[in-house]
Amino acid sequence: MSEPAVLTEGLTVRFGNFTAVDGVSLRVERGEIFGFLGANGAGKTTTIRVLTGLLAPTAGRVEVAGLTFDHGADAIKARVGYMSQKFTLYTDLTVAENLEFAAALRKIPAGVFRERSRDLLRFIDFRDRADVLVRDLPGGLKQEVSLVAALLHDPEIVFLDEPTAGVSPSARVRFWELIRGLAARGKTVFVTTHYMDEAGECGRIALMRAGALIALGTPRELKDRAFPEPLYDLHFPAAPPAGWRNDLAAAGTVQPHGLRWHVAVRDPRRWEDLLARWGTAARARRIEASLEDVFLRWVESPA
Amino acid sequence: MSVFSLPRALSIARKEVRHVRRDPFTLAMAVGVPVLLVVFFGYVLDFDVRDIRLAVVDRDRTPASRALADAFTASGHFRPHGPPDVPAARLLEEGRVKAALFIEPGFGADVDRAVPARAQIVIDGADNQTAGVIAGYLDGVATVAARRLGADPPGDLLRTRFLFNNELNSRWFVVTGLFVVVMGVLSILMTALTVAREWETGSMELLLATPVRPLEMILGKLAPYLGLCLAGTGLIYAAARVLFHVPFRGGLLFFVASTVLFLCCTLAQGLLISVLTRQQQLAMQFSNLTGLLPVLLLSGFTFPVESMPAFFRVLTWFLPARHYMELCRGIILKGAGPLALARPVLWLAALAAGLITLASVKFKRDLEP
Repeated sequence: MSEPAVLTEGLTVRFGNFTAVDGVSLRVERGEIFGFLGANGAGKTTTIRVLTGLLAPTAGRVEVAGLTFDHGADAIKARVGYMSQKFTLYTDLTVAENLEFAAALRKIPAGVFRERSRDLLRFIDFRDRADVLVRDLPGGLKQEVSLVAALLHDPEIVFLDEPTAGVSPSARVRFWELIRGLAARGKTVFVTTHYMDEAGECGRIALMRAGALIALGTPRELKDRAFPEPLYDLHFPAAPPAGWRNDLAAAGTVQPHGLRWHVAVRDPRRWEDLLARWGTAARARRIEASLEDVFLRWVESPA
Repeated sequence: MSVFSLPRALSIARKEVRHVRRDPFTLAMAVGVPVLLVVFFGYVLDFDVRDIRLAVVDRDRTPASRALADAFTASGHFRPHGPPDVPAARLLEEGRVKAALFIEPGFGADVDRAVPARAQIVIDGADNQTAGVIAGYLDGVATVAARRLGADPPGDLLRTRFLFNNELNSRWFVVTGLFVVVMGVLSILMTALTVAREWETGSMELLLATPVRPLEMILGKLAPYLGLCLAGTGLIYAAARVLFHVPFRGGLLFFVASTVLFLCCTLAQGLLISVLTRQQQLAMQFSNLTGLLPVLLLSGFTFPVESMPAFFRVLTWFLPARHYMELCRGIILKGAGPLALARPVLWLAALAAGLITLASVKFKRDLEP
């Protein structure tokens, strides 16, 4: 196997007594779209800050694009692109001024900068004039320009921390087209999101909880592993029968899902009995587990 | 690994200039506030007292007593006031006059005989600020009066002559100090918000993700505001010369150099505050606390440094404003050169270097893991 894009072994970050990242080991191959999921405060952003050279780990081994912290944080910063959770462009500067500033900080020669910014603006299909103030752009486009700023130095790996938070659904779809485009160009994309449909687009997903990595695999693998038992969608058209929760708890685990319930059946005999007893009062159908089910089961429910 | 890259510092400076150009508020603050403050302070903060209302009680009524009373009015500081039928004591009590001159019968005769002649002046001491000024004028008036009466000047043994500002024009003194007060307060505010704003808007993340060096950030952010503040200083200079006719006796180049040193101190102080607080609101409060108060109270603007308790006197050594005050007054009013003012210049240079280093070092912890 070739050299991985990202490799961590026992990566740990502590702030005083608080352990933000607790012994995370993962390996991301080159050209992957790697999804990073977890509740707020699970340690995703802290992990990304280490991998982008912004924060030194307390313990553990970190290798990014073949470099470790021994090569200096700047060496790492030169090989990775980082689009932070916060909007980092200057809204009172124009698109061109923002890009020019980002390029100047990285000492990109003027000729190279001109060529790359033209190429990248074409990549995001930017049709406005480059002298428009960033504050006048729509939200989705702001994020795309922000992506361009993170790509100007042609990084091997791109870290995107919730790039689609707060943008419209159509803008989200467009942004993911760009992410796939990046992967097609041979970039490794490391992306965090709260949208499960987006997580499904990733080649592999890592799930974090309270600083620890609790699962890692393709979306398919995660679904199979989280729900080895059959999963049913259950709903009661009228008032549910008395004592249904307790009865159901004996047959499997229940997660609310809007006005419906998703039941992971542990004991098929009891489940069949219950359905027979409730008759038309309950409607159930076998479903495939979604990533949302996985997320609810592993990340948000108590251990 | 390089410690400083000029092109990178310049690109930061260029970016700051763009911020300022699109922010009319900062521009107005840099240019409008100095002029406004100079005009305001210059006209209001006037320690001179003119037209002091004086009750004259002449019980002698001789040419000599009239000459004495005339000496008071001729000085320009006093104006006879009060109806003759109202007792002077009452006029004083009611605040209708600030002072009363009593000339007893026999004053003229004493003058003629060349024996010490007596007259008494009573001053309303309730307003001790004015009383002090009046008392200060008395010497001068007495000298003039004695000369007119052909007698020996009363203070012949000790004659005071005021150098540099021989009219003791307090406006010159105040306006000269305004260079320090206005620019000292304003310049800290200029930079105190810049780094905090980057943290609050999120653009700091962009900076952190690049190999930018702390010193490049600090100097890159300092330079544009130095230019802006120098322009503000130029406006104060113009206002001082045109509106208040303050003389400028020293070297302009030396003055500009001193101003640059002073502004480097205060702008770096603002940056240090910004780096430490990371919040614009907090940075604003800190800069008011560490800028406004010391500049007003400890720089020598309102209270002479020499008369402060030892602790504060030592504290002022570490205040850029105190040294710049010395330089402003020395250069503008006395025409002193770099040799005579070497000490404040060296202090300012040391403080500027120290503050820039401190801000960079504090910033380094954020930029470099």
